[in-house]
Amino acid sequence: MASDTADISHLIARCALRDRQAFRDLYTRTSSKLFGVTLRILRDRAEAEEALQEVYVKIWQRADRYVAGGYSPISWLVAVARNHSLDLLRARKPQGDDIDLALDVADAQPNPEQAEANRGERARIDHCLGQLEADKADAVRGAYLDGFSYEELSERHKVPLNTMRTWLRRSLLKLRECLSQ
Amino acid sequence: MSDEANMSGADEDGFLVAEYALGLLSPAEHAALQERLRREPALRADLSFWQARLSSLDSEFAETPAPAAVWNRLEKRLFGTAASTGFWNSLALWRGLAGTAAAVAVVAVGVNIMTPRGVDPKLFASQLVAAIQANGTDVSFVAVYDPTTASVRLTALSGSAVPEKDFELWAIEGSNAPVSMGVVPVNGKIQVKIPAAALSGFGEGTILAVTLEQKGGSPDGKPKGEIVAKGATTAI
Repeated sequence: MASDTADISHLIARCALRDRQAFRDLYTRTSSKLFGVTLRILRDRAEAEEALQEVYVKIWQRADRYVAGGYSPISWLVAVARNHSLDLLRARKPQGDDIDLALDVADAQPNPEQAEANRGERARIDHCLGQLEADKADAVRGAYLDGFSYEELSERHKVPLNTMRTWLRRSLLKLRECLSQ
Repeated sequence: MSDEANMSGADEDGFLVAEYALGLLSPAEHAALQERLRREPALRADLSFWQARLSSLDSEFAETPAPAAVWNRLEKRLFGTAASTGFWNSLALWRGLAGTAAAVAVVAVGVNIMTPRGVDPKLFASQLVAAIQANGTDVSFVAVYDPTTASVRLTALSGSAVPEKDFELWAIEGSNAPVSMGVVPVNGKIQVKIPAAALSGFGEGTILAVTLEQKGGSPDGKPKGEIVAKGATTAI
């Protein structure tokens, strides 16, 4: 897994140097994952395919923005795919610069312990989501993984919009405390 | 948010950043926060916190193989050619060649670096090409001289057939009279044998021109119609 991460990091760096073979390899290695992201959020196969193409255009054009750091490079790729899908879903103006904020490791966290910490992250977020009531944890996961808006969440959970907003904000506060420990 | 009125500004920012990370903000709020994120390192640090923590959920996105067509479209879009398209069939490459003289030079350099598979670079380096086009018409061709068969490979890039008329290709060397190389299709490829009358002097600087002639071509071997495209051969 660690060498996998290093490989993908290396491939992204090669893309920044305009290495087409590296881009092809990167696509082969990661497109199933990113298609999983666009498909889950957009819920339409044709749109998800179109989005996947756009996502890799961005990756090729902005590979130099990836900063190899503590975070897994696949997280950066997923963030690019997720942000692009959300832009489409919300009909937001696509922001090229979004990619800079996708995972802003450079000036925010030059922390050598981060990589080590990341390995425990999955267990940690599961633990912290587990501290929330089940439907509230579901709402957080629905927002992140399915791209549900406040409106969709309030419909799904059958609560008024403002209640959902309050729910989620309280949950985020708890989550933040738990995740900071 | 009236129900959060007791929150301090920092708390409110904290929520906004978390909502941004989750993708819950409206387009206007999203754009406004994005603008602030560019300027405020503290907000970016906060965003990194959420992104790093939430990204551990990424493993829940189920891997789903994408159809091969996506890669083909992607490659075509980024590099102008799909892998399955042979080098000689790359319309994008020929369109590139058919630009200005400068474009020809640039593409020639690019081609040498790429060293396409199946093409001997030495042979290719001595290749003569011509971009055949003219202002005011949409007719354009690219011609590549093939010394091994003393012929020209002609690829039509644009233009449409004209009823009751044919396009005819001519070789012009210096001040000599044009030598007909025959009728050429405007929507495909053709290999044209260079006529004996044109072969001896055929080389760099030879002008290739296309005229619009009566069906079957000029009857007396002299161009009658207007020149719709022309270009000089260049060594690349």
